[in-house]
Amino acid sequence: MKRLALPSLFIFSLAVVVVAPFMGMQNIALSDLFGSADENLIRIMWDLRVPRVLLGWITGSTLALCGLIFQALFRNPLASPDMLGVSTGAAFGAVVYIRTGIVFSLFGAVSGLSLAAFAGALAATFAIYAAGNLRRGGMSEATLLLAGVAMSFLFGSLNMIIQFTSGYIDTFRMMRWSMGGIQAVGFGPVLATLPALAVIFTVAFVTAPELNLFVCGEDIAASRGVSVVRLRRLLFFSVSVVIGINVATCGPIGFVGLLGPHICRKFVGTDHRKLALASLFFGGAFLVLCDTAARILWSPAEVPVGVLTSFIGSIFFLWLLVRGRR
Amino acid sequence: MSAQKFLDVEGLSLDLGGARILEDISFSLEKGRYLGIIGPNGAGKSSLLKCIGRLIKNFSGRVSLEGVPLSSMSERALARRIAWVHQTGSDSLPFTVREFALMSRYPWQKAIGGETAEDRSIIDRSLETADVADIADRQLNSLSGGERQKALIAAALAQSTDILFLDEPTSFLDYRHQVETLELIERVNREQGMTVLLVTHDINLALHGADEILAIKKGRMAWKGKSSELLEEGLLEEIFDTGFKSFTSDGQLMPYVAPGGLVR
Repeated sequence: MKRLALPSLFIFSLAVVVVAPFMGMQNIALSDLFGSADENLIRIMWDLRVPRVLLGWITGSTLALCGLIFQALFRNPLASPDMLGVSTGAAFGAVVYIRTGIVFSLFGAVSGLSLAAFAGALAATFAIYAAGNLRRGGMSEATLLLAGVAMSFLFGSLNMIIQFTSGYIDTFRMMRWSMGGIQAVGFGPVLATLPALAVIFTVAFVTAPELNLFVCGEDIAASRGVSVVRLRRLLFFSVSVVIGINVATCGPIGFVGLLGPHICRKFVGTDHRKLALASLFFGGAFLVLCDTAARILWSPAEVPVGVLTSFIGSIFFLWLLVRGRR
Repeated sequence: MSAQKFLDVEGLSLDLGGARILEDISFSLEKGRYLGIIGPNGAGKSSLLKCIGRLIKNFSGRVSLEGVPLSSMSERALARRIAWVHQTGSDSLPFTVREFALMSRYPWQKAIGGETAEDRSIIDRSLETADVADIADRQLNSLSGGERQKALIAAALAQSTDILFLDEPTSFLDYRHQVETLELIERVNREQGMTVLLVTHDINLALHGADEILAIKKGRMAWKGKSSELLEEGLLEEIFDTGFKSFTSDGQLMPYVAPGGLVR
């Protein structure tokens, strides 16, 4: 069964991406696109749904891969990309941007809100790294993790102070941003996040042998010839920047990065080369499914997708756990 | 300067958190020898082994192999010379015996590209040597302490090095598995010519196969010499701060040592 797990996940992922754009407030049939050529339907399809499904897939895959890397790096099953203050740092950037009321964009393509969030994520990353690196002898995982958690609380409290002092409308915008959401008009956001996914997948796939050794312990990895300090730095920065780009585009989306890798382990085992592929396929498909449900369930209103990922995901994971016990 | 120097440790000292862990340790070891490093708990034995193998790097002093300082070697180059059997106790190692042996081929593998035919034959031979070929596809986490230790030694052998470091390799084992593990280490030393450095608090264990003994007490070198000379009057009492009795029985080459009352 495990031998077929990866091909199955691949087909599942592909099927979800192909089918999801046809579903929504108004279901679209394949014949609508070619036969009658209804201008509106074609525009909904190509300007809204296809970019949104692609962005959802990219985001889900990115989050699952980042979670996979962090869990190996910190040898901690509860490590997730949102834990290290990068997401709250991004939120801080977004909150400051909304509060100051300045509006700008880069070449009209990347919104000022995204840029501000990305800047916040970067600031948090460097602050954590600096704090974790202060002690002589480099940063241990425990120090880095604690620095991240502390940074997360620090930015979290700053965010609340700014929200508390803002007007109703600004506060609502801040809160809505912090719930996360896959929104895309046209392919701009897709093109912005795709390179980040490519980078993080390559990192996870190429360093899979090192990650396998890392989960066995730092001494074991070092004694097998892994240059632990360099690898840790590479993983920490690539995950932080990639998460920064993604959170800047979609806002923080919970759960996928935390439990996605665990679900993949249930399917393919503990080898990180297989896990990298499984996270790519499963993470993407899972978020697209949740986002499609978010579009349909209360239509014409939309549920923030982060609410659904946590809800569906936790129940699914609990079921996997209980089933595995028997 | 003797021409035959293989592993050479000069003036090694280590401070951790303001405390002096190791103080001015110097010794050398010839190729193919088996060195037992003994001493009471907290004496700094494991730290010494980690400094020599560069798992701890911020010590002062020099460690060189065939005249080349280890600090000038890359992690990968070092891992082609020294293999480790760590004190992993009950740490989770979520892989099968064979998978873990393959992972230990890391310093010889290219960045991309899987298991080669050479890897496979080396792994098969290592599993055979350590007598774990029949449990190759079992999960390490599901093995008993004795099986697990042999599997970890098999993985270290698969790393194809000429030096083997072991940190308290028998501390969690029952008597039968202690003996099996020790015989395996001795066999690897005698038959494959691997240089062995073994850390233990158990003197009998060190006496079992080691050619030489290095005794550490409170971070300092207390004694170094041939293992047969260790039982000379008063030496063990001084190292371990407790009395000892020695037994020699027929058919047993080495005396058996037992603590016999505290020295006040």
